[in-house]
Amino acid sequence: MDFRFTEEEEAFRKEVRDFIQEVLQEVLPSDWQGVDPGPEEEAREEVYQLAVEIWRKLAAKGWIGLGWPKEYGGQEDLAKDWILKEELIYRGVPGMDMAVVQGDLILQFGTEEQKRRFIPPIAHGEVKYAIGMSEPNVGSELFALQLRAVEEADCFVLNGQKTWTTGFQHADWCVLYARTDPNAPKKSLGISVFLIDPKSPGITMRQITQMTGLAPFYEVFYDNVRVPKENLLGEKNGGRAIAMYAFGIERSYGLVVLHNARRYFEQLVQYCKETYTNGQPLAKDPVIRNRLAEMAIEIEVGRNLGDRLNWMTSQEILTVLPSCQIKVHGANVAQRVASLGMQILGPYGQLDEKSKWAKLGGRMKHTYLSSVALSMAGGTSEISRNIIAGRFGLGLPS
Amino acid sequence: MDLAFSEEQEMLWKSARDFLANKCPKTLVREMEEDEQGYSPELWKEMAELGWLGLPFPEKYEGGGFSFLDLIVLLEEMGRACLPGPFLSTVVLGGLPILEWGREEQKQYFLPKICKGEAILTLALTEPSARYDAASIRTSATPEGDDYLISGTKLFVPDAHIADWIICVTRTAETANPEEGITLFLVDAKSPGISTFVLRTIAGDKQCELTLEKVRVPRGNILGQLGQGWEMVKRIMEWAALAKSAEMVGGDQQVMEMTVNYAKERIQFDRPIGSFQIIQHYLADMSIDVDSARVSLYKAAWMLSEGLPCTNEISVIKGWISEAYRRVAAQAHQIHGAIGFTKDHDLELYFRRAKAGELFFGDADFHREVVAQQLGL
Ligand SMILES: Cc1cc2nc3c(=O)[nH]c(=O)nc-3n(C[C@H](O)[C@H](O)[C@H](O)COP(=O)(O)OP(=O)(O)OC[C@H]3O[C@@H](n4cnc5c(N)ncnc54)[C@H](O)[C@@H]3O)c2cc1C
Repeated sequence: MDFRFTEEEEAFRKEVRDFIQEVLQEVLPSDWQGVDPGPEEEAREEVYQLAVEIWRKLAAKGWIGLGWPKEYGGQEDLAKDWILKEELIYRGVPGMDMAVVQGDLILQFGTEEQKRRFIPPIAHGEVKYAIGMSEPNVGSELFALQLRAVEEADCFVLNGQKTWTTGFQHADWCVLYARTDPNAPKKSLGISVFLIDPKSPGITMRQITQMTGLAPFYEVFYDNVRVPKENLLGEKNGGRAIAMYAFGIERSYGLVVLHNARRYFEQLVQYCKETYTNGQPLAKDPVIRNRLAEMAIEIEVGRNLGDRLNWMTSQEILTVLPSCQIKVHGANVAQRVASLGMQILGPYGQLDEKSKWAKLGGRMKHTYLSSVALSMAGGTSEISRNIIAGRFGLGLPS
Repeated sequence: MDLAFSEEQEMLWKSARDFLANKCPKTLVREMEEDEQGYSPELWKEMAELGWLGLPFPEKYEGGGFSFLDLIVLLEEMGRACLPGPFLSTVVLGGLPILEWGREEQKQYFLPKICKGEAILTLALTEPSARYDAASIRTSATPEGDDYLISGTKLFVPDAHIADWIICVTRTAETANPEEGITLFLVDAKSPGISTFVLRTIAGDKQCELTLEKVRVPRGNILGQLGQGWEMVKRIMEWAALAKSAEMVGGDQQVMEMTVNYAKERIQFDRPIGSFQIIQHYLADMSIDVDSARVSLYKAAWMLSEGLPCTNEISVIKGWISEAYRRVAAQAHQIHGAIGFTKDHDLELYFRRAKAGELFFGDADFHREVVAQQLGL
């Protein structure tokens, strides 16, 4: 057994860190406290603009889709792909486009023509993707979805509604899950997946504000939207397999969440070292030391789980179980870090980011609110636990 | 033993629930979060007419002569409705100390005004250390002729921006024991040298930075005894913690009910999510949190009303509800899924208030320390 990264991987990590240093100095404001990947980036226009700039730099380095086959611009190196993500997310650097993983779906299920058409623009950092799964009556039970796609001579016609579509306003493409066969013997057997252009006629959207005050997600209405047949991904009525694959990708999201929480945690540790009460730093307070240590252990254990997940992925071992475990654990850690942070900051924790009295840039309040979503987004913790218990996990009877 | 509400208490909570359901819809709650003042003067007037503002004050000061326990019953409903405004500040932080320690002429001056809704009061205690300990009181009051000059910065002062009078906790003497040399003053909020700045906070409540620069206050405005203020502050903190616990229990209960209803209605996998065992277990745990908190609240409030020593019981409830409300609100979010994460949903109002409530007059750690001391540790 060997937990070390290879020399080449370590060298790559250093290269990434140097890159981040450069970005911090040249692109990001000097008082940069970091942002959360995904929704926060999408919702704050000034951050989004920085993300686009950094995204282009990543593309110039050839670092988008590092795990992809060489013929589509990748390096077939999953370890590097993960190192890059981990470092960027941990440092709160925007531009780590979460939707790049939609490229994985296209590579896995797309036709040769689709791969050549859709993958290079992703690798060049030119396009953004959104995901259209959830509907007002469809959350955890994706296969109950109702948005209808009817096949006509030259296209499919879409009617229905999606909701919680994150980043739809910036998206060039949306991976949309629709019902093509309402009479299929099982709900899951009548679903197809489409690559749709959000600017198509018949699409309207309404912005939804989250409890953080940010508004990255949208209700999206499809009214006789025509999608060319060549934009069908995989087989007609074959959406189930794609959805299952996508769920797997989304659950490794738990690791993204964990590394993002590490940043908040380390800021908190720093705060405890620098903040004095009654003549001694908070870090000397036995209760605080105890809680910080407890948290550090939870994070470290999660990183170990994550290393195992990544290793298993690279070995093409089935990762349903570890990815669900890390999904649950990552959300727990993020919520606990936020809660501990709020507790330690005391009354200061509740202050708005703009307040002159705010500590740690008011970020702890942000993450205290935003982390609420982390046990739902990308599949809820309960569903993950069900899967852990089920056929691909503990094998308990249903 | 009799743990039921009295007939009067029954009437009080029912009428309070009806009134607030009518007059304090969530649209008002949200509007007031953004509003500069943070309360509705019309509603304030109606509350005075209902006798709410005078509830715990004797009839001779135009109050209702009710007990602290009765007040708790009302506060619980206020928490359920997320009622915005300076009720707790005026009645508990302002009025009760005057009733307890004021000279007769101070009582006669202030209490009827409070009862009639003509004066908003608050207490300026915490400073930038943000701690509830005596050593943190740095705001000074220095004698000059017949007056005192008060200078310093107070932080997280609730409702100071709309207060007519502020009870200001000051240091009048530097002594080895920080609990000595503390004095409370009744300060006219319009005095020259006072400025307030409303902080933007997680719950959109109105907590202020209060700056005092050589604010001149007559010696006659001392509340209680010169230099004996810390003992008073300790009592006020207990009342405030208990009053806030009542609001929190009310909010907690409401969150629980909303979530039970949602779990019965929301269908996934062809069945209500409330039929999944895991959701049932969550709700079972939540109900334990809520019900254990409510009975502990009543016990502490009853003891206070009976004049029994209840420092421990107050810290038990505030320590418990601070964690329980946060836990219940978070679990409620989990059960609601994405819909509860939206700004338009009521749930987020409670999640934010649970945190603010936890921070108000001592969080769980603070009160656990009190309990530890009571255990003789
Ligand atoms: C920040 C954020 C961003 C999002 N972005 C997107 C996006 O870009 N695109 C998109 O399509 N969707 C998006 N979503 C939606 C997300 O996928 C859903 O929130 C998620 O699938 C859960 O669905 P729901 O919220 O409707 O909850 P529901 O499915 O209604 O669940 C409610 C509760 O019931 C529980 N429950 C449901 N079924 C079971 C069961 N079988 N066993 C036990 N418990 C169960 C759940 O765990 C939860 O606690 C986003 C959500 C969030 C919060």
